[in-house]
Amino acid sequence: MEEYPPIIVRLAINRIDLNLIKNENVQPRIYTPGEEISSQPDFLRGHGTYVDDENTLRASVAGVLEKVNKLISIRPLKARYQGEIGDVIVGRITEVQQKRWKVDTNSKLDSVLLLSSVNLPGGELRRRSAEDEQTMRRYLQEGDLICAEVQSTFVDGSLSLHTRVLKYGKLSQGIMLKVSPALIKRKKTHFHNLESGASLILGNNGYIWIGANKQDSDRSEGGFTQDLSRIPQINREVCARLRNCILILAQCNIQLTDTSVTYAYEESMKYKINELLEPEIMIDVSLLTHQRLIQQ
Amino acid sequence: MAETVLSSGEKIFILHGIDADFRNDGRRRCEYRSMEIETKLMPQTHGSARLHIGNTDILVGIKVELDIPHADKPNEGKLEFFVDCSATATPAFEGKGGDDLATEISNVLIAAYQTRNAFDLKTLCILPHKKCWKIYVDVLILQCGGNLFDAVGIAVKAALNSTEIPKITAATLDGGEPDIELSDDCIQLDTSNYPIIITLCKIGDNYIVDPTLEEEVCSTSSIVMSVLPNGKISSVVKLGCGSIQFNTFTKMLQMGEIIGLKLNKTLMDVLKEENQFGRQRRIFGFLK
Amino acid sequence: MPVDQRRINGPEVSVPYHIYSDFNKKSDKVKHDFSKRSDKRIDSEIRKIFLKTGIVSQAKGSAYIEMGNTKVVCSVFDPRELSNKNGYCMQGEIYCEFKFAPFSCQKRKIHQQNAEEKQYSLILQRALEPAVCLHEFPNFQVDVYVMVLDNAGSSLAAAIMAASTALANAGVPMFGLVTASTIGIYGNHYLMDPTDTEEAICNTQPDNEDDFNHGIITLASLPQHNQISEVFLIGSIDTNTIKQATEILTAANKDICPVLQQCLVKTIMKLHNEKK
Repeated sequence: MEEYPPIIVRLAINRIDLNLIKNENVQPRIYTPGEEISSQPDFLRGHGTYVDDENTLRASVAGVLEKVNKLISIRPLKARYQGEIGDVIVGRITEVQQKRWKVDTNSKLDSVLLLSSVNLPGGELRRRSAEDEQTMRRYLQEGDLICAEVQSTFVDGSLSLHTRVLKYGKLSQGIMLKVSPALIKRKKTHFHNLESGASLILGNNGYIWIGANKQDSDRSEGGFTQDLSRIPQINREVCARLRNCILILAQCNIQLTDTSVTYAYEESMKYKINELLEPEIMIDVSLLTHQRLIQQ
Repeated sequence: MAETVLSSGEKIFILHGIDADFRNDGRRRCEYRSMEIETKLMPQTHGSARLHIGNTDILVGIKVELDIPHADKPNEGKLEFFVDCSATATPAFEGKGGDDLATEISNVLIAAYQTRNAFDLKTLCILPHKKCWKIYVDVLILQCGGNLFDAVGIAVKAALNSTEIPKITAATLDGGEPDIELSDDCIQLDTSNYPIIITLCKIGDNYIVDPTLEEEVCSTSSIVMSVLPNGKISSVVKLGCGSIQFNTFTKMLQMGEIIGLKLNKTLMDVLKEENQFGRQRRIFGFLK
Repeated sequence: MPVDQRRINGPEVSVPYHIYSDFNKKSDKVKHDFSKRSDKRIDSEIRKIFLKTGIVSQAKGSAYIEMGNTKVVCSVFDPRELSNKNGYCMQGEIYCEFKFAPFSCQKRKIHQQNAEEKQYSLILQRALEPAVCLHEFPNFQVDVYVMVLDNAGSSLAAAIMAASTALANAGVPMFGLVTASTIGIYGNHYLMDPTDTEEAICNTQPDNEDDFNHGIITLASLPQHNQISEVFLIGSIDTNTIKQATEILTAANKDICPVLQQCLVKTIMKLHNEKK
C-alpha cells in the first residue's frame, strides 16, 4: 500500500506574520492620493502628482516622494510595470495579429512584438515574406512565453519589444513566476546560469523564468524549435527548489538578485523542497538569507 | 474558470513532473498543500468559516431560519446551498460568467449531503407539516487559485460544524397553529458523518490531488467525489471534457477514499482544537 | 438559455394529490419486494430498448428512444458560429439542454429548467464531449436538445444514448458511440435499469441502518475504446460496491452498443433504398 503524506490544516489563530524583516532605518514618508506635497510654486510636476486649483501639488498615488532638482514625483509602492528602453522582460503571447504579436508583460497595456523584430529561422538578413505572415502562429502562438528586450515605447505607454539578439527568443521548458516588478532592480545582466544547473531570467517586469535546461540558451534560430524531451530529475528538483525560494523571497519582500536567490537556495538546502511551502520554514529561510545579505 | 494559458513547454514540464511523482512545487502526486482555517468569524451568522489553501480563499456563512416543511416530506427540514462566484475573485466571473461553475459546485454539494447517512434532515423538523428549520449555506468564493471543490467542501463542513441552532423548549399546536418557544441555549449539529469533497485531477496517465491553477489547465478530466467519515462515497461525478479508463477510474476512487478519510480526520481534530480556545478566541478575519 | 419571464407557471405551491391519498399505503410500499421486480425482470436485466432516428424532420439529426415506459426525444441542429466574446476558439463546443416535459413526472414540471435539469444538461454535455471530434469544427457550436416525454426511471441514461445517436445521425464526426446505463443499489441488490419507483427506493436510506449501501450510479462510456466518459453517483456506497457496479455497467454498455449501431445502419439502408 502506498503511503500518503500527512495533510496539514492550520488555524488562523496560529498564523505567522511573514513580514518579520523590518527596515532598521526610519520609516520613509509615504504619501497617499490627495495628500498635499508642497504649496510652493517652484516645482516641476512629475509622475504620480497633480496640481489643484490653489496651485498646491498633491499626490495622485500612494507612494514615496522622489525629488530630482525641481522635479517632484511620487513613485507608487505597488504598480504595474513601467517599461524603459533596454529592459529585459519575460512575457506571454496573448494574441496573434497581422504582422505582430500582442504580449502580456504586466504593464498597463499589452506590448507589441513586430514580426520584423524577431529572428526567423534561416539567418538574420532574411526578408519577411507574405508567407511568414501567414505562418506566424507556427513561430509563436497564444500562451507561448518569450524573453525580449524593450525596443521603444509608444505615446500611450505601450511597449514595443524585440528579440533580435541571440539570447532572446522563445522559452522552452521551465516554470514562470509572477512577482511584483518593484522587487527586481535594473542590473547589468538579467540572465543567470546558476551553479545549481538551472538558468534564471529575472525579467524587469516582475515575470521570472526558471529554465530547466542550460543548453537552450542558444536561440540563434529564434528558439522556435522546442526541446520537449524529458528533463532529468536532478534538474527538476533544482527548478522546484528555486521556485519555492523565489516565492519565499517575494513574499518577504526581499529584492531579487542572483545573489539573494543563490543565498536563499543555499540556506534552503537543509529542508526538503516541499517543506519550503510551510510558513515556519519560509520565515527561517528568509531570515537567514536576510542576514547573509546584510553581512555582505 | 479563470483564464490561464500555458505554453507547450510549461505544460510538458508539468506533465513530465507529475509522471515522475515530483510536482513543480516539490509536492508528490498525493500531497495536499497546507491550509488555514478559521471558524465563527462572522458575527451575523449562525456559523461561518473561512478557508485558505494556496491562493484559493473561501468564505462560508450559514443562516438558520424557520420554514414550513415540504408537503411530500412533512417531517424533514431543509438544507440549501448557494454558491456565489463573485467578480471580486476574477474578472472571468463577471456577469453570468461564474454561473456555470457556481451551479456545478452547488450541485456537487447537494449530491454530497443528499443521503441521510450524511445529513439527516429529520433532525431539522420541529413540528411535522407545520414548522422546520431551514439551513442556508452561502458559499462565497473570494479568490480562486485552483482546487475549488475541495476547498468549498472543507469550508462548508467547518462552517456547519460551528453552526449553533437555538434550542426549542416547547413546540405545541395551539388550535392548529404552531407555537414554539426558544431558549437562549444553542445546540450544535451532529457533524460526525458530514462529507468531504475530494477532486482527483487526471493529468497524462496519472492523477493528482489539490491541483494548482496551472496544473488544472493541463488536465482534461477530473473526478469529484465526496467521502463520508465512515468510508462511504456519497457522490461521484466526472468533470472536464476528457474520458477515463475503467482501471484508472477504480484506482482514483481508492486513492480518493483514503485521502478523504485522512483529510476528514485532520480537519475534525483541528476544529476541536480551535473549539477549545473558547469564546474569548481572537478573531483574525481579514486582517493579515 | 433565454428564460421566458412572462409565462405564467401556475401557482408554485400546488402539490400532487398522491401524497395525501397514498399516505396509508405508502408504508407498505417502502417494504418493496426485492425477490421480483414489478415488470418481472431479474435484477441484472435491462428493459427492452426501442430506438429510432429521424423523428424530427427539421432537425439535422434526431433520435427517439424508448426504454420500458421511459420515452426521450433528442434533436441536434446545424452547427452555428460562436459569438466572439472570448476570442477565437480552437475547439468546437457542444451545448446540451435537458428538459423533462411538464407532464413527464409524477409532479408537474414548470417550463423553466430547474436545478436538477440544469445539472443533467451539464452531465449530458460532459458525457458527449469526449466522443465528439471537437477539433473538426473550431469556433462552432452544436446544439443538442433533449426532451423527456415520459420518465419511468433511467431517463438520464436514455437521454445520453438518444443524444449520441442523434449526433451520429446528424453527421457530426465522432470518435465512437456513447452508451449509458443506470444501476440502483439497495443493500445487496443491484437493480439494473431501475424504474422510477425503484429509483426512489434506492435514493432513501432505511431507518436505523447506518452501514447500508444505497444509491444510483449512471455511467456513460465509449465501449469501442473502453473509456468512461461520465459517471454520476448519488447515495452512500462503499468503494468496493462502486467498483462492482461500474463493472456491471461497463459490460451492459458494451451489450447495448450494437443496438445503436444497428439503428444507424438501418437509417442509412432506408435512405439508400429510397434513392433506388
